[in-house]
Amino acid sequence: MLFYSYFKTLVGKQVTVELKNDLAITGTLHSVDQYLNIKLNNVHVVNEQKYPHMMSVRNCFIRGSVVRYVQLPPGSVDVELLHDATRREARG
Amino acid sequence: MTEEDATVKEPLDLIKLSLDERIYVKLRGDRELRGRLHAYDQHLNMILGEVEETITTIEIDDETYEEIIKTNKRAVPFLFVRGDGVILVSPPLRQ
Amino acid sequence: MSLDEVPPPGAALVEELDKRLLVQLRDGRKIVGILRSFDQFANLVLEGAVERIIVGILYAEDPLGLYVVRGENVVLLGDIDPAHDPPAILQKVSLAEIRQIQRDEKEQEKIKKTMKARMDFLEFD
Repeated sequence: MLFYSYFKTLVGKQVTVELKNDLAITGTLHSVDQYLNIKLNNVHVVNEQKYPHMMSVRNCFIRGSVVRYVQLPPGSVDVELLHDATRREARG
Repeated sequence: MTEEDATVKEPLDLIKLSLDERIYVKLRGDRELRGRLHAYDQHLNMILGEVEETITTIEIDDETYEEIIKTNKRAVPFLFVRGDGVILVSPPLRQ
Repeated sequence: MSLDEVPPPGAALVEELDKRLLVQLRDGRKIVGILRSFDQFANLVLEGAVERIIVGILYAEDPLGLYVVRGENVVLLGDIDPAHDPPAILQKVSLAEIRQIQRDEKEQEKIKKTMKARMDFLEFD
């Protein structure tokens, strides 16, 4: 639940999701669920020329299992909060 | 940190001791990360800060057909890493 | 957080029902169709599905009909903006033409691989 709860605090922020097939999509985080499926609005694809099929896509749903990374907006990462939440989660 | 927190009983306890330390993470797809561990869970999903990613690729030269090994590095301020790509985590880097 | 506040996983797809979507699969294929049903694994039912085959800036569409897609093969679902579809830079060709282009590309890859194997053999160091 730690990362699900954390991603919910990032709703409305700009993130870049990098997929395991190397596709990287930047957009506004619209929602996230317990599987860490992600919905992005107003997306644009990094290296769009290589992935022309995405040019007609404005909003998208990304299956959590295909995500490699999510680049987070530096201004909205509270590291103390993350440390506390992680220690709490580790204790179970 | 209390004494109970500091004992290592299972693999992930070692990672707990690395919280807020710089760690090394090896990932699938010939990728490596070095960064400060800010959060993790039981799947080894993580958030790292001040990340340096190293990607190793093998390209085949169009003329000589030789294999060229290239390493590309990039810096990312904060990165969420999905646990299913993690091969190993190594605790604090001496540097 | 109480558990009844948490929406069931995959619920976000409710908003996509009955829309024309682009579904990218793990093997790289792209399918366009109308989403009629889904579940928590992102298994999908697509009506009037077509495969959009793209090579470079050329594309063709292969009609598939009614498709059930297994969730684990889904990479993403994109809302298609009808005003920008198909993307302006893509040129439509016939299915026969795109199939031929795909075969040619595959052949080129194969040649590159065999050449490398030959070079490796000749060097035998």
